[in-house]
Amino acid sequence: MTAKTVHKNLGLSEISWRSSLGVTKTVLIARFKIVLRYKGAIVFDMILPVILAALPILLGVAIAGQAAAQNFEDATGTENYKLYMLIGASTFIVVTLMLWLVGYWIRREMETGTLESVYASPAKRVEVLSGVTLYALIRSLMAFAFAMVVGSFIFQVDLFQGEMALALAFVVIGIIPLWGISFAFGALILKVKEADSLIQVMQWVVAFFMGIFFPITVFPPFLRYVALSFPPTWMTNGVRASLLDVAYFFGTWYLDLAVLLAFAAVLPLVGYTVFLRTERRIKKNEGVGQF
Amino acid sequence: MTMSEPIIAIENISKTFTSKERGKGRKRKKKVEALKDVSLEIFDGEVFGLLGPNGAGKTTLIKCLTTLLLPTSGTAWINGFNLQKEENKVRASIGCMLMGERGLYWKLTGRENLDYFGALYYIPKNVRRERIDYLVDLLELSDFVDRTVETYSSGQKMILAFAKSLINDAPILFLDEPTVTMDVHAARNLRSIVRSLNKEGHTIIYTTHLMAEADELCDRVAIIDRGEIIALGPPSELKSSIPQESVVDVEGVIPESARNRIVEIPGIRTAVVKDETNGKTMLGIICDNSRRVLPKIIDVLVEEDAIIEYISPQEVTLEDVFIAKTGRSLSIDTREIVTPKDAGK
Repeated sequence: MTAKTVHKNLGLSEISWRSSLGVTKTVLIARFKIVLRYKGAIVFDMILPVILAALPILLGVAIAGQAAAQNFEDATGTENYKLYMLIGASTFIVVTLMLWLVGYWIRREMETGTLESVYASPAKRVEVLSGVTLYALIRSLMAFAFAMVVGSFIFQVDLFQGEMALALAFVVIGIIPLWGISFAFGALILKVKEADSLIQVMQWVVAFFMGIFFPITVFPPFLRYVALSFPPTWMTNGVRASLLDVAYFFGTWYLDLAVLLAFAAVLPLVGYTVFLRTERRIKKNEGVGQF
Repeated sequence: MTMSEPIIAIENISKTFTSKERGKGRKRKKKVEALKDVSLEIFDGEVFGLLGPNGAGKTTLIKCLTTLLLPTSGTAWINGFNLQKEENKVRASIGCMLMGERGLYWKLTGRENLDYFGALYYIPKNVRRERIDYLVDLLELSDFVDRTVETYSSGQKMILAFAKSLINDAPILFLDEPTVTMDVHAARNLRSIVRSLNKEGHTIIYTTHLMAEADELCDRVAIIDRGEIIALGPPSELKSSIPQESVVDVEGVIPESARNRIVEIPGIRTAVVKDETNGKTMLGIICDNSRRVLPKIIDVLVEEDAIIEYISPQEVTLEDVFIAKTGRSLSIDTREIVTPKDAGK
């Protein structure tokens, strides 16, 4: 290919691995600066799982009274229904923050016009999205840790039981496939240019299938298979099985963790590819700035 | 200034949008040709103006050249890089101010915004810091640059958006209506900085609907209408293509019947409403020889009970060039088109 114009410099741009990391770091820091300037936003993330867990716990006590623990053990294998609910609600906040933040980020940037500014810069998509997802990761892990600790005081449950390190491994590895889903969901937002109603519906579909308050064994077979095709279901059950006497889906921790690892290996690549293809199709027509 | 070599070469770029037309319970796909086979060279070191009414295709062309849109066909070379095959190097070669005061993070300060976008242009941190300090001085941002953008006036946001476009000190600068919402003083300052940047060697692509601004700043202009370039050249050359005496402006209360009769006068090529406020109309008339037709225009206006506040042969502007080429005004509302069959020829 022959250049048909003169070539001057690239201004002040110096493309290197250091400047690539600089993009991710700057996006990450900017996201935290922005969210911290909305008073209370992060605190609400942390409190929400405690409130969410309190609802079924109080409902269980109200309906089953002293028999609540026994009835629960019959269905799930553990009588510790309070910790079971707390784990469900806390992993749900991790899942919800990870899944929707990329979509919300895209939508907000579309509306403010900053998405076009980002797209007009030479920064690669993966560098910018890494900053956004790292932010979501840190924010969701903070919310998870805070909710578990505060929830354990409020509901008077002991967190330090079972295999704590294994439970953390299920959380951390379970987050990786969520990136892939969040990229694909971000692509959908780029396409449909609407986030709120889509997320409102998807939020509760996700909560339902990952079994935040109940074991998925209560589902009929078809729904159970649907639930099992969704990584957060494995993440939630893995954490519960590590800490409580709940069964792993495949009977042993390493097989369940292997399934999550397989999701982690495949979904981010699939999600990122979907994102790039959608972006290209949109640029062929109306462009990313239209909303 | 030498303008011998192109720094942007556009080859046969076309862009078609597909949109959905919604009728009574029916949706139909509709194709809109926003750019039709546009070819153009922009020379290294020139200020190049893109002029045209809303919807003419200026912004679409700029969005294609800044990689925000993919052309349906055709290509371009920018700073030695191919538009489609070397997107990232094209982006690193340009600075853009495309969306006016939009495109800034309102919860970040002006300085944080500049730092953020500087990082996105791969500018090392120490260089970024120096560049931001330089821009704060150059554009007189010190009074507000450390406040969050949400507290800025429209003019302050515009000047920060301009600073953002300069953050990477790129050889090519795209400025899309940069003085819109700026007060007179700020707009004058911006134009003066644009001239200085050009003297330093930057190539500037400038879109505006203000003809006087384009006339003052640009070495060459391209007038775009309905996705096609209909005129290209230095402003003086384009204006000299219309003889001085062939433009007449009339201002006053002018009934529509008078406008309809004026275009029937032999020697009148077209008559276009340039502006209409408070019941007063500014009518631009392009004719073959204003000295000959002026008495006939006055006769018609008197017969139709028009109130004439001002009537005079005018110095030709770039808007007159557009009117002469298209038979339409550059103003947003182009419904008031009164043109005889042979207009625009």
